Amino acid sequence: MSGMPFVAVVLLILGALGLFLALPGARRDLSRVALLVLAAAGGTLIGLVTGLLVGPAPLGWFLGCALVGLYSAIRVVTHPRPVYSALYFMLLLVAVTGLLVLVQAEFLAVALVIVYAGAILVTYVFVIMLAQQARPPGYDTQAREPLWGCLAGFVLLTLIAAQLFPARPAETSATSPLVAGTVEAVGARLLTEYVVGVQIAGLLLLAALVGAIAIARRRASAAHGNEGAT
Amino acid sequence: MLIPYLLLGATLFVLGLVGFITRRNLIIMFLCTEMMFQGIIINLVALGRYPVRAASAGEIAPPALLDGQVFALFLVAVAAAEAALALALVVLLYRHKATLDADAWKTLRDDG
Repeated sequence: MSGMPFVAVVLLILGALGLFLALPGARRDLSRVALLVLAAAGGTLIGLVTGLLVGPAPLGWFLGCALVGLYSAIRVVTHPRPVYSALYFMLLLVAVTGLLVLVQAEFLAVALVIVYAGAILVTYVFVIMLAQQARPPGYDTQAREPLWGCLAGFVLLTLIAAQLFPARPAETSATSPLVAGTVEAVGARLLTEYVVGVQIAGLLLLAALVGAIAIARRRASAAHGNEGAT
Repeated sequence: MLIPYLLLGATLFVLGLVGFITRRNLIIMFLCTEMMFQGIIINLVALGRYPVRAASAGEIAPPALLDGQVFALFLVAVAAAEAALALALVVLLYRHKATLDADAWKTLRDDG
């Protein structure tokens, strides 16, 4: 718990309060203000940490991506309509991709966009459309135990942040010599050192494919005699 | 430069966790797990780019620095498998009761 500034704790408390008020089910008129407070607290925290530990170097891209990512992550959690949550998740993906490019993981960034935005998110949107109802049902507009959830999140994030603030600022951060994350570099590593992992990942994907088909094809009426089986 | 990345990854993870606890829609709950994966990916890649040097280890050989990205790639594969299975389960559950409320299935849990 050494070097964590008091301001950071205050910002974390503000963030937890804002999240509590912004979750669906709290008072409607407060949620917009709460969102502003939450985004401001998160942005100030990231900016403060960056300024404290790195200095006012040209970090505009990092801060921009981090802010966009934080805001869209908050909206994923707090938006009462699932379609918008999925779309905000796509925005989060764009921000994460920007961060990956900043740390020279170009191949990973491209793979993330293709796999997530191209495949996973499209599947999510399909399922959301499949299960859409005329007006937002009660389970979307009423969160479950928002107070305890926010409290748990606050405690966890405070503990992690307290560990992250080092006693002496210059303890870590030896920037590695520039190794570009191109297809060539990552692929060579992947197919020599981690070739067994690649095989296992392929096996896992195959198993998941077969399992998903087996689960989704099962007739609902076979197990439960009631309605809704098509 | 390492610490801001780690803090951002931790924040994404915690936001996903809070969302998983508090939201009741099954699809949103799984979206929140995907958000936790994003936080972990940021952590892995940042740790590969700005490695923490142990006191005795000396220089780190350049190929070892790509390990973070390779791990993150495996993580993406696992996330894809998880999404496929989870959504298949959600579709099956929706066919049973025509609701996405997680509380509709609370009879599955233990007593107590």
